[in-house]
Amino acid sequence: MSADLPDDLEAAGISGDDVETLSLEPDRLDGHTIDELADYLDAGMTPPDATIDDSPACQNALDALTRVRMLSHGALEADALDEDEREDDWITEILTNISLEAHAGRDVPLPPLTETENSVITEGAVRSVVRRAGDTVDGVLVGRCTLEGDVTTPGAPVTVEVWARVVRDHGQSREAVISEIRTAIGDALRTHTEMNVERIDVTMRDDGAAPLAEEER
Amino acid sequence: MSDQPRRISLADADDHTLVERAGHGDVRAFEVLVRRYGPLMRSYARRVLGRSDDVDDVVQETFVAAWKQLPSIDDPARVKSWLMRIVSRRCVDRIRARRDHDDIADHDAETPEHETPHRLLEAKSREQALTLALEAMPPPQRRAWILKELGGHSYDEIAGDLGLPVSTVRGLLSRARKKMITEMEAWR
Repeated sequence: MSADLPDDLEAAGISGDDVETLSLEPDRLDGHTIDELADYLDAGMTPPDATIDDSPACQNALDALTRVRMLSHGALEADALDEDEREDDWITEILTNISLEAHAGRDVPLPPLTETENSVITEGAVRSVVRRAGDTVDGVLVGRCTLEGDVTTPGAPVTVEVWARVVRDHGQSREAVISEIRTAIGDALRTHTEMNVERIDVTMRDDGAAPLAEEER
Repeated sequence: MSDQPRRISLADADDHTLVERAGHGDVRAFEVLVRRYGPLMRSYARRVLGRSDDVDDVVQETFVAAWKQLPSIDDPARVKSWLMRIVSRRCVDRIRARRDHDDIADHDAETPEHETPHRLLEAKSREQALTLALEAMPPPQRRAWILKELGGHSYDEIAGDLGLPVSTVRGLLSRARKKMITEMEAWR
């Protein structure tokens, strides 16, 4: 950039000297180009290059590159906060466009309503029953849920596997939470399906964000 | 202490849980993801595509595609970058589709030197200054810079995306980097 700055820039206290402080041409970067430095940064500064690591000019330029990167991610996030809350129409359009069949899974038989008619519930709908039941346990959200076994054959033994997370910690023991989840899911499946549920395995997840502590006691 | 059980809202759920549920057909969980990352994806798409009706379409298409691909996601906790990657690809598809109508010869016209600093003075924050500096760049330079720095695409990918030789992409990025650094240093 030229040091000949418009008057109003100088009036704002940005002098040509300030802008020129950081020179980005190879003759001022100990022979490196700014692009080599950007690639070096992308490669996690490996393998180490002493001609860059030991050059104050290169280090300054690397700092500047890093600042611009951080700032551009920050600017994107800031912009996102300023985005208008999108009308529900926009979201509804997405939700109606997604194909529900995509995750429906197998057909699980229900007791026949009449002698000639066989009714079924999709595996996806059974999972939904499991999730809703698990979610009724205070502070818990169910994540993954699988049905192991031949759910398409009436009476065949089925194992339900559930992964859940304590999102808000109410101080109960892990065992108590697991037992509550298991009971809620077992009850719901007996109410809504004819599946022969042999076992409900509940795995508590501890990875990721720590649960929120209970705020008032 | 109240004895009323308090159901946890899905809006409080972590990404991992939401992705697992959505991958198993939970539309409500998917809706939370749409609300959580839709704005960021729109900001990104707007940076790449400029202000256009395409922005909303691209983000909607991204979510519809994401719904189908969710069960195959490797790391559910990294759904944000996964979504950003898809929206970035979709933006590039749009640019390709538009390319026929663009004047290729005009692609790397330099913005007059004085124009950006003038506008930068109006910026109220460094973030805004950066956004203005980006907007002042010629579109190919801006796109190359965004795809590289925000989208994490490689030089080869960007060359393919923009239909330009790799050497041209390197040149665009070189100018863009110098411009961004110089302008942002004035804001320190």
